[in-house]
Amino acid sequence: MAEVTLQDVVKKYGTFKVVHEVNLNIAAGEFVVLVGPSGCGKSTTLRMIAGLENISAGTIRIGDKVVNDLPPKDRDIAMVFQNYALYQHMTVFDNLAFGLRNRKVPETEITSEVTRATQMLGLEPLMARKPFQLSGGQQQRVALGRCIVRRPQVFLFDEPLSNLDAKLRAQMRIEIKALRERVPTTSVYVTHDQVEAMTLGDRVVVMKEGWIQQIGTPLQIYNRPANRFVASFIGAPAMNFMKVELVEELGVMSAQAKDFKVELPLEQAAVLRKHGAKTVTLGIRPEHIRFGIPSDNAGSSFSGVVTVTEQLGSEQVIALNVADSTIMASRISPETEVSPHASVQMWVDAKALQFFDDKTEMAIR
Amino acid sequence: MIALALHALRRAIFAISIAVIFVVFVGPIAILGVTSIRPASGVFYIWRGTNFTFNNFVEVLHQSQVVEAMWNSFVLSTLATILSLGITVGSGYMLSRFGGWIQRSWFATIYIFRTVPYISWVLPLYLVNTRLGIYDTYIGLLLPHIAVHVCFFSWLMKGFFDGINPSMEYAALIDGCTRWGAFYRVALPAAMPGIAALAILCWLSTWNEFLFALILSGKRTPLITSTMAQFVTETGTEWNLMSATAVLAMMPALLVTIFGQKYVIRGLRM
Repeated sequence: MAEVTLQDVVKKYGTFKVVHEVNLNIAAGEFVVLVGPSGCGKSTTLRMIAGLENISAGTIRIGDKVVNDLPPKDRDIAMVFQNYALYQHMTVFDNLAFGLRNRKVPETEITSEVTRATQMLGLEPLMARKPFQLSGGQQQRVALGRCIVRRPQVFLFDEPLSNLDAKLRAQMRIEIKALRERVPTTSVYVTHDQVEAMTLGDRVVVMKEGWIQQIGTPLQIYNRPANRFVASFIGAPAMNFMKVELVEELGVMSAQAKDFKVELPLEQAAVLRKHGAKTVTLGIRPEHIRFGIPSDNAGSSFSGVVTVTEQLGSEQVIALNVADSTIMASRISPETEVSPHASVQMWVDAKALQFFDDKTEMAIR
Repeated sequence: MIALALHALRRAIFAISIAVIFVVFVGPIAILGVTSIRPASGVFYIWRGTNFTFNNFVEVLHQSQVVEAMWNSFVLSTLATILSLGITVGSGYMLSRFGGWIQRSWFATIYIFRTVPYISWVLPLYLVNTRLGIYDTYIGLLLPHIAVHVCFFSWLMKGFFDGINPSMEYAALIDGCTRWGAFYRVALPAAMPGIAALAILCWLSTWNEFLFALILSGKRTPLITSTMAQFVTETGTEWNLMSATAVLAMMPALLVTIFGQKYVIRGLRM
């Protein structure tokens, strides 16, 4: 296990910058997830750590060693690829043994290492098979095994579950998590799937257009997003946004839009007062929009017209038309009967509201 | 009722098409085969008479030039295959995996050569070969064949490598290989079915090649295709001997096709 440090790392293709001054310290044994939409530079960043891409500027350290100019084979890393990247002409055993054989490890040791990995991953019956005889899930397990046998300093994962179907993806996610417990190794995991980011990461790095937007624990990212992009990217259904006007009446601040008014708690009001803007963007997580009328906090209720309902069995997601914009409300009990076009009463927990500057889109704290 | 009639009609059309194709493709070969076992007197009436003989084969195999030509063609085809594949594999890999001005110029060169009609190279090549003193030698025949193969097969080879996901090579780089090692130990074995298919196509096209053989080879290094044509003499064409030689020339190609077919199909499916 080693720590990984990225200092002002830049990647340019010609004059086009795809990764901007990335600074990231990954502690030894930590599991960090890079997440973002396609083209955000997350895979490029990972490939720079792996040595598969040259860096245009900055420094990458693995342990104490600056690895900027080291070829991938000398970085003591292992990588899992989206399309498994197994050696098609080799058996499962040879695939697992390949890295060790390259390092001139004695054959008896190779056998014991490969056996350890295959037991861990339940691959024993498949040892003599070739990759094309395996299912997607089995192939990805072999790819994981190829990482484990080498006992590298760092594991790199490049969207390893993207090619699997939803059910298998959930299962493999759990396996990766379980594997972490048994083989604790510094890991960098790239995904565009926020569920993987939230469930696997000790810390999550959200990226957009080559810039790091926020680094934090999954809960920090979810509960205190640094800007509107992070707020909208993490969470499904996505956070709702609404332009509101901040109005002070008799010392009480409220966020208002057409047919919408929420009174704000004192601390929230103080922060917004200090910020100074009169109109801001309000962010509400769908689960904070509740059905009905609150018993204690009548000031935060509002009404909307149901446009669509989505029954998921465990919950119900409904789309509402409130103040001329469509917002989604979820965590409605699946038993609640809601029909489209019905006018319904909703309320929000004012403490859970987020505010973003209209121009900079940064969270107002 | 109508459906049944339509079905019968469709079957009939299918059967007739197959028969036509069969006659068009197999007919000439059948005529060739029968001619090769007819005496000289019977070649113009091959569907009449019952005189059959293997003397034609005995006779052509006693002509040292025919035997020598078969040997030369075999050596030339084998050498051309090995040498041109050596270049084609590297060239195809480079075109598939790397970008840059060298690759682009190489690609453009190949493209231009492919657009030039094959026949227009032959006469200049004759002049070049005589000037260089390699006319009617192995090297003088090998080089043009290799050049043609490299131009024609680099694109196919590029296609094979394009079909192999490069992340396999990245995995190899991380697993301890150098760039060369990743090519040699991972990409190359994965491209093997394609390379085998190309080897067969390459060998066959050299074996069957006629233009270079006619213009660039002479008495010293006769080749089978041009030797066959020499049965056309001032006193007439010795059809029976020519057919026997043609049947003999067909044999290696036939064997390669029969045994190599599955590799060609597997390779081209890559």
